[in-house]
Amino acid sequence: MKQNKTDPFKTDLLQGTLELLVLRILGSGQLNGWDIMQRIQIVSGDVLSVTPGSLYPALHRLEERGLVSAEWGASENNRRAKFYRLTTTGRKQLEAERKTWERFTDAVELILRDA
Amino acid sequence: MLGRLGRRLRALLRRGEMEQELDEELRYHLERDVEQNISGGMSPEEARYAARRSFGGVEQSKEQCRDARGLGLIDDLWQDVRYGVRMLIKRPGFTLIAVAILALGIGANTAIFSLINATLWRQLPVSEPESLVYVHSGNPNNPYSNASYPDYVEFRDQNQVFAGLAAWAGISASINSNDQTDLIVGAIVSGNFFDLIGVRAALGRAITNEDDRTPGAHPVVVLGHGLWQRRFGGSAGVIGQQISLNGQSFTIIGVLPNDYRSAFPNRVDDFYVPMMMQAVMRPPRAGYSGEMNPDLLKVRRNRWLSLIGRLKPGVTMEQAQAALVPITKQQGELYPDTNRNRILTLTRVSDGDPESRSQLRSVASLLLTVVGIVLLIACANVANLLLARASARRKEIAVRLALGARRARLVRQLLTESLLLSLLGGAAGLLLAVWAVDALKGAPPPPGVLPVSLDFSLDGRVLIFTLALSAVTGIVFGIIPALQASRPDLVSTLKNDSPTLNHNHWRFNLRNGLVITQVALSFMLLIGAGLFLRSLWQAQAIRTGFDETKLLTAPLSINLLRYTRAQGREFYRQVVERVEALPGVESASLTRVVPLSGGSSIRGMVIEGRTGPNSNFRSEGGNPSAGGENELSLSVVGPKYFQTVGISLLAGRDFNEQDTEDKPGVLIVNETFAKRHFGGQDALGKRLSLEGEKGPWREIIGIARDSKYVTLGEAATPFAYLPLSQNHETGMTLLVRASNEPAGLALAVRQAVQSIERNLPVTNIRTMSEQIGNSLYAARMGAVLIAVFGGLALLLAAVGLYGVMAYAVSQRTREIGIRMALGARTTDVLGLVLREGMTLVAIGAALGLIGALIGTRLLVSFLYGISPVDAATFIVTAIVLSVVAFVANFIPARRAMKVDPMVALRYE
Repeated sequence: MKQNKTDPFKTDLLQGTLELLVLRILGSGQLNGWDIMQRIQIVSGDVLSVTPGSLYPALHRLEERGLVSAEWGASENNRRAKFYRLTTTGRKQLEAERKTWERFTDAVELILRDA
Repeated sequence: MLGRLGRRLRALLRRGEMEQELDEELRYHLERDVEQNISGGMSPEEARYAARRSFGGVEQSKEQCRDARGLGLIDDLWQDVRYGVRMLIKRPGFTLIAVAILALGIGANTAIFSLINATLWRQLPVSEPESLVYVHSGNPNNPYSNASYPDYVEFRDQNQVFAGLAAWAGISASINSNDQTDLIVGAIVSGNFFDLIGVRAALGRAITNEDDRTPGAHPVVVLGHGLWQRRFGGSAGVIGQQISLNGQSFTIIGVLPNDYRSAFPNRVDDFYVPMMMQAVMRPPRAGYSGEMNPDLLKVRRNRWLSLIGRLKPGVTMEQAQAALVPITKQQGELYPDTNRNRILTLTRVSDGDPESRSQLRSVASLLLTVVGIVLLIACANVANLLLARASARRKEIAVRLALGARRARLVRQLLTESLLLSLLGGAAGLLLAVWAVDALKGAPPPPGVLPVSLDFSLDGRVLIFTLALSAVTGIVFGIIPALQASRPDLVSTLKNDSPTLNHNHWRFNLRNGLVITQVALSFMLLIGAGLFLRSLWQAQAIRTGFDETKLLTAPLSINLLRYTRAQGREFYRQVVERVEALPGVESASLTRVVPLSGGSSIRGMVIEGRTGPNSNFRSEGGNPSAGGENELSLSVVGPKYFQTVGISLLAGRDFNEQDTEDKPGVLIVNETFAKRHFGGQDALGKRLSLEGEKGPWREIIGIARDSKYVTLGEAATPFAYLPLSQNHETGMTLLVRASNEPAGLALAVRQAVQSIERNLPVTNIRTMSEQIGNSLYAARMGAVLIAVFGGLALLLAAVGLYGVMAYAVSQRTREIGIRMALGARTTDVLGLVLREGMTLVAIGAALGLIGALIGTRLLVSFLYGISPVDAATFIVTAIVLSVVAFVANFIPARRAMKVDPMVALRYE
């Protein structure tokens, strides 16, 4: 994926990390792709951003794995849009990955602080 | 799992819809971006442009979404297949050769596999075969023997481990209708048999316990599907009809289903009768007791029944075996004369016949190895073809790589092509195998040599085997060429279109390696084939010890007739008398065991004045030399036997009219017997007993010259002859010594026998030479098969060598032209090319030689009379290989010689 040069803060996310973020954001309700992108950018204080070119394949992968489900519905401005939501397995997966992530960052932090 | 499959299916079926949704989803995203940009103050045009730019490649995103769905793979596959088919069509010559080579390799494997499938793995058509076991009652030397009826009843009634235990014996009977007498093969079974194996009649009913209560009371018969079709035209009206078996009328009560042949592997049973009808049916195994008509339901001496049991749920084989031991032990204590030292062995019905199984298995693995090697050679060949073609396709591949195709994607594409090839080859191979198996059916083995019926039909297992083998083959021969062809070596390929002097093609490379492998493998196979052929010749040169020319054999199954002992004796006397009166007959006699028919009769024996363990048992079949010191192979023979077969007596006298039943028993032994048991002493006049230490004692009155008894390959075996006049038997075979060609006498002999007893079927009249030929049938078939495969391997290797050399010459045309322009003579060029080719052959042959020296040791048990490292075989094979390789090499070398320097230099 090409880096968007106009935004120095945009960072390429590792595939697994992107999926974790998407799962977390869908954890608070059903959203369409565009909203998810905005949400990631806003919540991370513009540090993290994803391109559609990686977001949509990630969403389709998650759907394929049965972690999210999708349905068509009306968007805020009353247009047809595809909305994603977490499935039960998706929720479990989110919990599991979140723990793994926390253990990982804790460990990294410990090393950065004490080593 | 199912959900994913469902989605994938949906994806496949509703491609258009999915595409549209994807399109719509991404468009929505773009529009939102545009709106946001406009509300941020951009002009609509600017906004659209910015949105586009920040989105990145839309098509790329779509492709990745499709990939995420697994759609991409399917798309790619479809594309690869179409492309592959186009490539194969574009080069029909290449495709044809590759498919033909693969068809030979895969076809050979499929044919052998279907053979093995038919002999070893085909499941019997019984219900829940996994809980069915054969119960063999035997002794330590011969564990897979049979039980007597009283033994069976005790096993059946005293065990706690079987849900049921049934008994059966194979029998033959004469069936008489429309003035035509035929011999049919079937079984006599206990009443619980069909219920136990879970087979129901297709028409009418099967035999039940009700039919099997009172001896002789229920003359009913169940027909096998085959006999019903052959003899009764498949008419449903046969139920209730009467047919004549062994001259007695039986009522047909049922017909068995089409898929049921027998409860024992490789048998076809045409009819079933209840156990209680044994007096009429006279099971042949029961005939050696010395008594003419023992009540088989009462005596323990006659072991004629095979047992089949169904384990209770949860009972293991070991538990069942352990549970039967006390019953056997008790029988041994109560009836020491007949039941001492018996052991019981259980084998699974699904494992097939335990006696032939291990032998079949080793033959099967040998054949599979051989065809496996053939297939490997075929793979090497096709790999070579692909490598040659890959160099022709270098440019195409380089262009694709340059345009950004990933290497993995290219490898996948090339592999798809080789898989297409191998699947085509597999399909053609399957046809080839069907044809070969049909041809095999057209030349069936002589009766008695192989199991009577092999069902060679190609079932699902064979199809799956072929498919899997084709797929594996495609990957094996495809992977290396694919990896090599897709090696990104762009610049040189695109720039410089043809390899010239800077490419040293003579050094060791992949293609040469493949040729060396082929030569090595085919050399090994050829040596194996040579050893088999030599071994066959050796076996044919063995002397039988009697005069096998002009000798005719005709089995007389008078056990089918209800003769008294006196009637039987009179019948034999009349048969010999009438046959001897025929013109062209020198003499005639009778024997219980026909030499080299594969059968034998073994008994325990005690020599007078020597004590030793008394193993009083007898059995049929097997190798006489398998018996221990106290066992004796023997035959019962009629008057003038030795004169008729041409065995001379070295000492003593022949049997004569004085040796009647009221006189003391006599016997004649062979040289080996006399030597082994009496050493230097005179064996004449010594006495021995076949019925235990209490006698009766039989006196040795003659010593006969050694001959071969069961197989040509056997070592010198102790053997004894008993006179028919003192030991009446029902299963004798007539031997006729003719003054000329014996085959022409067959009809006259049959007529002579049937003029005495019209109801006796006289089939299977054969000459002794035929019989001996039959005993070599397996060896000959093996040798022929392996020779054919060896030849095939050599042919493939030669084609491979030719291909590589021809290609090398074409690549070096320019080099050769320069050499010639510089003054090299044509013979120099010829020598150059030949030397390179023959170097490959020499390396291959050396490797093959090492392989053969190691590998042929595994053949020891198959070879007769030669060493597995037989020098002559090795040398001759090496010469054959060299000559063929030389020819394959010479043709391209000669082409190189004819290169015109001027043309060659302008070439390119």
